[in-house]
Amino acid sequence: MTLREFLSDRLGRIALQLIVIGLAVLFLLATGTQSGILVILLLVLLLVFVSVHVFEFFQQRTRLLELENILEGLDRKYLFMECVPPPKSLYERRLFDLTRRAGRAMTGAVSDAQATQREYREYVERWVHEIKAPITASRLICRDLDGETRRKLMAELVQIEAHVERALFYARAKNPEQDCLLRQVDLGRIAAQAIENHRSLLIQSGVRIETEGLDCTVYTDQKWAVFILGQLFQNAARYRGTKPVITLSAKPLGKQIQLAVQDNGIGIPAHELPRVFDRGFTGSNGRSRGGSTGMGLYLCKKLASFLDLGLYIASQEEKGTTVILTFPAKENLTKL
Amino acid sequence: MLKIMIIEDDPAIREELALLLENEGYTPLVITKFTDVPSQAAQERPDLILLDIGLPGKDGFSLCAALRKAVPAPVIFVTSRDTGVDEVRALSLGGDDYIAKPYSVPVLLARIKAVLRRSFGKPELADALDAGELRLSLTKGSVSANEKTAELTRNELQILACLMTHAGQIVSRADLIDALWDNQIYIDDNTLSVNMTRLRAKLAEIGLPDAIKTRRGMGYQL
Repeated sequence: MTLREFLSDRLGRIALQLIVIGLAVLFLLATGTQSGILVILLLVLLLVFVSVHVFEFFQQRTRLLELENILEGLDRKYLFMECVPPPKSLYERRLFDLTRRAGRAMTGAVSDAQATQREYREYVERWVHEIKAPITASRLICRDLDGETRRKLMAELVQIEAHVERALFYARAKNPEQDCLLRQVDLGRIAAQAIENHRSLLIQSGVRIETEGLDCTVYTDQKWAVFILGQLFQNAARYRGTKPVITLSAKPLGKQIQLAVQDNGIGIPAHELPRVFDRGFTGSNGRSRGGSTGMGLYLCKKLASFLDLGLYIASQEEKGTTVILTFPAKENLTKL
Repeated sequence: MLKIMIIEDDPAIREELALLLENEGYTPLVITKFTDVPSQAAQERPDLILLDIGLPGKDGFSLCAALRKAVPAPVIFVTSRDTGVDEVRALSLGGDDYIAKPYSVPVLLARIKAVLRRSFGKPELADALDAGELRLSLTKGSVSANEKTAELTRNELQILACLMTHAGQIVSRADLIDALWDNQIYIDDNTLSVNMTRLRAKLAEIGLPDAIKTRRGMGYQL
C-alpha cells in the first residue's frame, strides 16, 4: 500500500475534515476571535489530523505486510484465515468472521475432494494389481492352445496389459514420490527389459531392433524408464512402415547420457508435432488407425519430468520419428 | 527331479503353473492351505519356492522370513505388487529373485533356471555342441566338420546353436526368431533369411552344403 493509495482511499474523510475546519474558522472570525489565536488553533487542529492519518497509514501498512508474510509462509494458502490474528475493531472482526466461515466451508470441500481422489487412486492401484492375476492365469492357460488361436489371444492379452499398465502409471504419476526410486541402472538392462516386455508385439509387427552404445549407466528409476521406452516401442510398432526398424543408440553428452529411439515409420505431420505430448491428443495417424488413446506420450512426458529426463521428439512424414531421451547427470538430480 | 513349491492363492494360476512346471520336468508342490506353510515346506523339502506376496492371512514378506528358517531352498517372489519399494523389500528379506505379474512364461522359466543354477552350482552351458559331423564351439564362435573350420558371426552362431540343440526336429522360423531375441539379437524375418543363406554358404565351405534342410511351410531341420 502506497501513501498515494491510502490518501485517495481517504479523500472523502480528509475533505470533510478540511470543510469542518474551514467552517470553524469562519465561525470564529465572525464571532470576533483574535487572528493570533485562530492561527494557533488552526495549526494544532491540522497537526492532530495529519498525525492521526500518518499513524493509521503506518499501522495499516504494517498489518498488511504481516498478513502477506503469513500468506507467503503458508504451504496450503487456503488455510490463511485460520492462521491470522483477529482484528480489533468491531466492523473488521465481523468481516473477519464471515470470511473465516466461508474459508472453513472451502477447506471442508477441499479435503473431501482430496479424500475422494485418494480413494479413487488407491482403488485404481488395487484394481490394477488384482486384474494382473487373471491376466497371468490367461497367459498360462493360453499355452495349452494351438498355434494361431494362441498367437491371436496372446496379442489381445498384450493389448490388455498395455492398457492396464498405462492406467497404473497414470495413477502413480499423481504422487510419484511413493514409487520412484532413483538409482544407478545399466541402460542396456532398461532397453532389454522394455524389449522383453513388448517382445511378442514387436516380433509380430516384424520389427528389427538395432542397438548401439547401450553399455553405460544412467541415474533413473528403472521401472519408469522401462515404461517410457515401452510406450515408444508401442508407437513405433503401431505406426510402422514397411520393413520396420527401431534403432536405439546412446551417447554421452557431457555428464548426461542421450538415448535416441529412432524408427522408420509413417512419421507425424509437422503441425501435429507440438501437440503429441498433450493429454488425449491422437492426431491424424491415431484417428486413421484407431485404437489410439492419446495417453502414452502424455504419460511419458509427465513421468519424464519427475525423473529430470529430457524428452524431445522430431519427426518427418514417411521417414520416421526420433525421440531423444536425455538422462540427467547424477549431481543435477533435484527432485525426490 | 527338482521340486518346486508353489505358494499362490489364486487357484487358476496355481493349477496352470503346476501344469506348466510339470511339463518342464519339475515336480510341483502345491500349497492350498495357508496356515503353517513353513512346516509344510519343512516336510516336503522343496528345491525352490515360488512365493506370492498377497496371500490370505500372513503376507508373503513375513512368510519369507519364516520359510528361510524352515528350509534352505531359494525363494522367488511372484507378485502383482510391483512398486520399487516392494522389490527392494522382497530382496532384502532374503528373496533370491522377484518377478512381476503378469510374467511371460519364457521369462518365468528362465528365472527359475537361473536361480536353481546359482544355488545348486549347476555347470554353465557346455562350451561345444555336437550334432552329427558338426561341432560348434560356442566360445570361439566357429563351426567345424571334416577337419575344416568356418568362423561364424554372432547371429549365425545363435541360429546354428538353436538348430543343433533341437537336432532332428523341425524348428519354425518364429521359434528361431524367438531364440535369437532371447540372446538380445533383435532381428526380423528378412534378416533371418539373409543370415540363414550366409550360414548355409559357410556350412557348404566346410563340406556340408545340405546340412540345414528347409521344410516348406514348417521351418528348418538339421
